[in-house]
Amino acid sequence: MATKKVITKEDWEKRLNDVKIRKEDMNRLVMNFLVTEGYVEAAERFRLESGTEPDIDLATITDRMAVKKAVQSGHVEDAIDKVNDLNPEILDTNPQLFFHLQQQRLIELIRNGKVDEALEFAQEELAPRGEENQSFLEELERTVALLAFEDVTRCPVGELLDVSQRMKTASEVNAAILTSQSHEKDPKLPSILKMLIWAQNLLDEKAAYPRISNLSTAALEDPAV
Amino acid sequence: MDQNQYANELIGSYFLQQWRHCSKTLTLTPSNPGTESDSTRPDSEYEDEREECPTELDTLNSSGGFSVVGPDKLSVLYPNVNLHGHDVGVVHANCAAPSKRLLYYFEMYVKNAGAKGQIAIGFITSAFKVRRHPGWEANSCGYHGDDGLLYRGRGKGESFGPVCPTGDTKYTTGDTIGGGINYSAQEFFFTKNGVVVGTVYKEVKGPVFPTVAVHSQGEEVTVNFGKDPFVFDIKAYEAEQRANQQEKIEYISIPVDASHGLVRSYLQHYGYEGTLELFDMASKNTTPPISLVPENGFNEEDMYAMSQRRTLRQLIRRGEIDETFAKLREWYPQIVQDDTSSICFLLHAQKFIELIRVGKLEEAVLYGRTEFEKFKRLSEFDDLVKDCSALLAYEQPDRSSVGYVLRESQRELVADAINAIILSTNPHVKDAKCCLQSRLERLLRQLTACFLEKRYLNGGDGEAFQLRRILNSGKKC
Repeated sequence: MATKKVITKEDWEKRLNDVKIRKEDMNRLVMNFLVTEGYVEAAERFRLESGTEPDIDLATITDRMAVKKAVQSGHVEDAIDKVNDLNPEILDTNPQLFFHLQQQRLIELIRNGKVDEALEFAQEELAPRGEENQSFLEELERTVALLAFEDVTRCPVGELLDVSQRMKTASEVNAAILTSQSHEKDPKLPSILKMLIWAQNLLDEKAAYPRISNLSTAALEDPAV
Repeated sequence: MDQNQYANELIGSYFLQQWRHCSKTLTLTPSNPGTESDSTRPDSEYEDEREECPTELDTLNSSGGFSVVGPDKLSVLYPNVNLHGHDVGVVHANCAAPSKRLLYYFEMYVKNAGAKGQIAIGFITSAFKVRRHPGWEANSCGYHGDDGLLYRGRGKGESFGPVCPTGDTKYTTGDTIGGGINYSAQEFFFTKNGVVVGTVYKEVKGPVFPTVAVHSQGEEVTVNFGKDPFVFDIKAYEAEQRANQQEKIEYISIPVDASHGLVRSYLQHYGYEGTLELFDMASKNTTPPISLVPENGFNEEDMYAMSQRRTLRQLIRRGEIDETFAKLREWYPQIVQDDTSSICFLLHAQKFIELIRVGKLEEAVLYGRTEFEKFKRLSEFDDLVKDCSALLAYEQPDRSSVGYVLRESQRELVADAINAIILSTNPHVKDAKCCLQSRLERLLRQLTACFLEKRYLNGGDGEAFQLRRILNSGKKC
């Protein structure tokens, strides 16, 4: 294996110094994060404090956040109404999302002990969908299994009652709304951080140089000897 | 020099350097008023946009007389009977393939396979002797039509793998063959009639020239360097390569709240107090709530003098420099004590710029005469004083070559400088250097430097990291 090129800390710091990063680009990156993650008020204030323009209309964020919050709090029917108010096509063109929302509704009914209502709902609303689609049917069966157990902690599908399931559904609906608004569903910052790790991993094969391993502190380490 | 002065000078000169960087990269050319001309950037990051591309065949260096290049410089004919292996008609493009990008591609159409169909397409370096088929000698790579094999300077041809979907890798009259370079994967790839035939590792380093070669009587080919649409869907291929690369990157895991923490740290560092408050409030209400407890990453010292930093930033963003001076004298007299420091220069220069902005030219001249006078004695500020003074020469200064100082970015620079210097007055700060950049900035610089070094080690091949391109792209980066 070829020996690695060694770059001293001093040399590397010089190169870091020569890099040109524009403040306005960093501001845009931060704004993109605030907007995509739904921090509406913070985004508004950031616009005032930094003069950075958001890349989408902030008003649309409030609506989207309301839907997300409704799902996160278990008010799925309310969320569905809101999504349809925003754009009826979203659920029309997204059968999987719609099924997951209905499934969440079922989970909430079960969670609240409304057994009869839950069964009725499962049979009338979800079973027909299950007939059309094998994976929907499997999901339905898993969900209904919750009813078979008195002690949910012993139920193999008990995780469906966990708050993380709500989060999953909320994320899904959030992404669908963003897509319908032709906006990317993810902020760019996490990808950039991954790019940094990826670039360092590649460079590690050929050179020894000061790395940054801790993304939170962004501290420059000494090159591995 | 005491601690204060050291910090002041360190920070002051850092921002002056940033100003100088700006003047080089944001200079408008008089012919493009009001637009930021990307092509004037000398930075190595932006070389990508200024690389030359092949447009036609070179007629000077082709193998003396064996082949004939057409008048449009896009076709080659081998008119005579060939005698031996050193009379190949090799012709290459008028310049090397641009390399500071993901892919390069060109195509060759076989108009006539002539007597023996001994045609080749490939790439050569400038060290290659243009008498033999590309691939027969070192410093070259070639895909030959008569046997359908790949040659890369080892004498014997190799068959492509995986096998070409159309079954046969040989080519003849009527076929369109493409040659490409994937800089990221460091490979050559070839296509036949719109389908990828195969790829091979790119051993040759450095600039390579797209090349075609003909060897038997009557062989004739035409080349396409992009003037006409390609038979192969290169855009789709590029998108596919990018998607593959992106998939690998997305697979990498990062700490869950890393982005959140960096954004918070950014807001703290630059003193965006209002935003930070609302951000923290909203973060508490997320489900699940994001922990704001400072871990090893968070530096509570960044909350230092938050209100004051925010106030000063707002004043500078509004161009109220007199007020800025007043507040600094009140809160941090040690910063403005030495009126000939770099920090004071930044402020005085900004005041001058603000006067010009509102058309108060006489007042500006007066101000310049009194304030710039003391800086004239210090040669380190000369070039920047010149840039500022030059504003007076123009009726429409914003359209001039020094118009960049009238932009928001200049106010931002001064605001960031003041922000940094106040951070440095924190008694807990050990080294003023950490006040210069937010953590996010440090990461972005590291990312850029790694890409540049990786490219350098690849012989100059590949894209640089460009934040701007990522911000402007509609899809994921």
